[in-house]
Amino acid sequence: MKENSLWKDAFVRLARDKWALGSLVIVLLYSLVALLAASGLLAADWAREVGGSNLPPSAEHWLGTDIFGRDVLAKIFRGTQIAMSVGLVTSLIAIPIGVILGALAGYFGGWVDDLITWLYTTFSSIPNIMLLISITMILGKGIFAVYIALGATSWVTLCRLIRGEVMKHKEREYVQAAGAIGGGHFRKLFIHILPNVTHIVIINTSLQFQFAIKSEVILSYLGLGVQGEPSWGTMIDDAKLELSRGVWWQLAAATTAMFLVVLAFNLLGDALRDSLDPKLKGK
Amino acid sequence: MKSLVLLISTLLLVSGCSKQNSFDEREINLISPQKVSGFDPINSSDRYSGNETGKVYEGLFEFHPLKRPYELMPNLAESLPTISADGLTYLFKIRKGVLFHDSPAFPDGVGRELRANDIVYSIKRLADPKLNAKGWWLLDDKIVGLNEWKNKNSAEEKTNYSEEVEGLKSLDDYTVQMKLKKPYPQFLYALAMPYTFIVPIEAVEHFGKEFLNYPVGTGAFLLPKFEQSSMITYLRNPKFREKFYPSEGEVGDDKLGLLADAGKKIPLVDKINVHIVVESQPKWLSFLKAKDDLLEVKDVNIQQSINSDKTLKDEHKEKGVRLILKPMLDVTFYAFNHEDPIFKNKKLRQAMNLAFDRASYNKLFHENTAFEAQGPIPPGLGGQTREFKNPYVKFDLEQAKKLMVEAGYPGGKGLPVIVVQTTSETISRQQVEYFEKCMDKIGINIDLGMNTWPQLVNKVSNKQHQMYTMAWGADYPDAENFLGLLYCPNQSPGSNGANYCNPDFDALYKQATVMQDSSERTDLYEKLNEMGATDAPWIFGFHRTDIYLAQAWLKNFKHMEFNHSQFQYLNVDLEVKKQLIKKF
Amino acid sequence: MLRYIIRRLLYLIPVLLGVSFIIFVLFNLVSGDPTAVLLGKNATARQMADLRDQLGLSKPLIEQYFDVVRSAFTFNFGYSWSTKQEISQMIIQGAYPSMCLTVPAFIIATVFSLLISLVVAFYRGKGIDLFIRITCIAGVSVSALAYILFFQYFFAYKLGWFEISGFEYGFPDFVPFIALPAIIFILLSLGPDVRFFRTIILDEIYQDYVRTARAKGLSEITILLKHVLRNALIPVITYVIIQIPSLILGALLLENFFSIPGLGGMTLNALNSSDFPVIKAMAILSSVLYILLSLLTDVLYTLADPRVKLK
Repeated sequence: MKENSLWKDAFVRLARDKWALGSLVIVLLYSLVALLAASGLLAADWAREVGGSNLPPSAEHWLGTDIFGRDVLAKIFRGTQIAMSVGLVTSLIAIPIGVILGALAGYFGGWVDDLITWLYTTFSSIPNIMLLISITMILGKGIFAVYIALGATSWVTLCRLIRGEVMKHKEREYVQAAGAIGGGHFRKLFIHILPNVTHIVIINTSLQFQFAIKSEVILSYLGLGVQGEPSWGTMIDDAKLELSRGVWWQLAAATTAMFLVVLAFNLLGDALRDSLDPKLKGK
Repeated sequence: MKSLVLLISTLLLVSGCSKQNSFDEREINLISPQKVSGFDPINSSDRYSGNETGKVYEGLFEFHPLKRPYELMPNLAESLPTISADGLTYLFKIRKGVLFHDSPAFPDGVGRELRANDIVYSIKRLADPKLNAKGWWLLDDKIVGLNEWKNKNSAEEKTNYSEEVEGLKSLDDYTVQMKLKKPYPQFLYALAMPYTFIVPIEAVEHFGKEFLNYPVGTGAFLLPKFEQSSMITYLRNPKFREKFYPSEGEVGDDKLGLLADAGKKIPLVDKINVHIVVESQPKWLSFLKAKDDLLEVKDVNIQQSINSDKTLKDEHKEKGVRLILKPMLDVTFYAFNHEDPIFKNKKLRQAMNLAFDRASYNKLFHENTAFEAQGPIPPGLGGQTREFKNPYVKFDLEQAKKLMVEAGYPGGKGLPVIVVQTTSETISRQQVEYFEKCMDKIGINIDLGMNTWPQLVNKVSNKQHQMYTMAWGADYPDAENFLGLLYCPNQSPGSNGANYCNPDFDALYKQATVMQDSSERTDLYEKLNEMGATDAPWIFGFHRTDIYLAQAWLKNFKHMEFNHSQFQYLNVDLEVKKQLIKKF
Repeated sequence: MLRYIIRRLLYLIPVLLGVSFIIFVLFNLVSGDPTAVLLGKNATARQMADLRDQLGLSKPLIEQYFDVVRSAFTFNFGYSWSTKQEISQMIIQGAYPSMCLTVPAFIIATVFSLLISLVVAFYRGKGIDLFIRITCIAGVSVSALAYILFFQYFFAYKLGWFEISGFEYGFPDFVPFIALPAIIFILLSLGPDVRFFRTIILDEIYQDYVRTARAKGLSEITILLKHVLRNALIPVITYVIIQIPSLILGALLLENFFSIPGLGGMTLNALNSSDFPVIKAMAILSSVLYILLSLLTDVLYTLADPRVKLK
């Protein structure tokens, strides 16, 4: 099958790219930390006081302690869980909305397309940050609001991309053929076309992850982020009060933790696009 | 790559390092930590907007800049008023020869003399139903006929200022008579607050809705036009009347050099620049770079300013920086919503008070500069006695746990999670996180509710909160301002956000508020303070300390709670600045 | 062509209706009563009721919605609730500092990214390609907040190269104030820009005409600058134009930290004080700008490339 070879091909090329592979390893490591933290095996007692207030990094506390004498390393682990969950959940919200709406618009055209295009034009014409802020303000509380706000604002790009791609595929021979042998709309769209546009979803998810993680920091700065849990955003937000008195470790730790995973997702996204996008094949 | 280098170097070149401090102008640089939205006295509801309005506008009275305890002195009024025997009729003599700033609002653009009518007009403006002034509460139900005038006009198309109000009349050009409905001992304080500062009718009518951008006052400084920007520059008012720096003050003021300018005509500087800096890091760094002359040290920067024995850190001392530490007239608290049935349980409230470890909190957030609040009234006001110790304001986990058992929640069992509402600032979040840890020790689960300021205000005024945390600063130096926080009729949306209701307390409060300052009243205040303290309507927090850092060249700055009128007395020593600036 | 433009302009109507609906639902319906916060700490219930009347909040919801729609089409936004300033004035006053920061930074970032992408495309697949790409992506992987905190502390305070915060009107007075935030802005834009431009340029490099040109013996640099760049310019320009609306609010954090009195700070303030008219005005302006600019990019496409037909 043609499809199989495309994926296999892509995988082989991806595996040859050392940076992509490294990024993948980082992402997997972070996911592992997140899982361990979520299951309570890691950093379960992050809230415990382990020493004095704002102790610099030492052999005992590798990344120092925060204002309440909590271990910064444990907070970083716990924060990893939050960051990854923000990425994951927002993707889980954005992907179905984006894919379904995009596919419907691209496939059916006509008034369906008009309606959906109108919807995403409206959404994308309101500044993103305004939507983010207002939705979190309204939902009011913590991580749940962050999920919804980020999910609700980030389906737009995906929807637009899928719509364009589906439009292209609709005219292709294999879809026409499927129609000729009596496949219904549903069958044509979901069985034949969608598998051929998955690469867009995958590339987009990778970028979505890093966008979500970065947005969480901004929301935390605005006081609309995660509450009662040590997210990287709240840690960087703390640092805005601490840096000028020389407490740099919390900022450094959270920034580095975030930097690595965002970089990894970015590189991975690029590599995925290079290997999956048929247009770029062989370049 | 070359272009990159080129670009960065041009950027650096154009920016030519940062700007140098100037020495040729007698100017003062101050900071406002919040955006200034306009200059209308009737809406100057908080300390910072009052500070700006107070540079341009003036009131009938002002607080003496040096004397403590706070003492009112006449300002636009010529003298203290004559008060009738029943304490209800006040006769004010207006100072002659006071000129409004020049403004296109006046014929020929020349400011005219202040007259009694202006006082009547400005106070009516506070009551104007069309304007919905933030300061209305100050005179609500106080002056004979004013509420009626307000109500009548709220139905009209346009507010009718020409209709006379019984309790608010000008008898001649320099005499105003005001009649009160009932004794209002804080009345003169009200006439020293920015809300009642005097504005000319011509300017209000000429500028219309733009009036707030064209302040026309009588003050020592003027600002022809206000624009949203990162700096407001006030210029010396060349036509300012003969007003002199006071020649007496508190004991010790002369040693601090606060009387060096005694008897000189004010203002002493040509210009005041107010930089608007919201974030704490740039505020702090700008002061360290000598861009600003005065810094109100907040939360996080306390540890960078002072040692643990409350002395100035050496690195600042070397640069001649002065430290000013003064207890504030304020109180911070975690309020229960008493309409929530859980908090009807007095033992629970007391237990929570006992479990709050104030000492470590003080160290962590205030570097031990704050004082544990025993009751609602801060020290320095009549009604708060040094001896009074609230039996529940101490850290005693054993007793707290015992009380939890008596309250019916042994080890916190049976108690739902309690949400404490606060604002979303970093420091507020950290403070509630700390509170959470304290309550955890007696088994109470606290959840943090973060809000933007409007959300918090909304939740509290609609009684949609379980607990919330807040600080209350004095509007005027009278304990009534604090006791009112526990007065039942003030409950949400008023200032009693705890919705605390205690009939005994209310009866006593009502009695005390109509009494003139006297030892009997102070006794009543003390009683009320103790009542409010031991019933544990809140978890008491702190009376905080104001911490200021002042550059050596800034002269005549003395800590003042109500500092809107203080800026006219400031001075700058350019010689000192020239010498010291090298150290920055 | 003209008919197309008119049609697209008419499209503004449903979009503005949608925008005003979303904004109305988010702020009027869900976020509650603004009067308590507008009246300050000693509000009375009576006064709150009066104010609600004055602000038109006691009118039926449908009427309130029509008010929003009306202001969306007339551009008459009235007065701010919290500052009582005229909103059009606020926007004009705030636009200047915002533009001083974002416009130069945006232009520099774009030109820079384009240059870098050309270099990267020239050396595609080689070490330097990878190095520059990863550096750019690394640059954008750091949180904006961390940049601000650290740069302000180090470059403005420790080294004294820039002003710590503030703003002055007029060129070149504002340069020392906006230089540092502008640099941060550029750092944050390089990553995505370079990535996008590189893809576009690579797309072109593998076109047939490039092969022909190469066969004719033209040097790689000439091909890149003369042919590839010219063809890549259209997608680049569209990409650039469509980003412009986000510039209005783009520098919200930077403005706040560097005390630049611009539109971002104004909007943040409005959000923090339930100042619905200001929020509404900003949302409506941005969406109008968005629609107009996306129309512009479509028109540009046709002008540059006659193969594209406007429907």
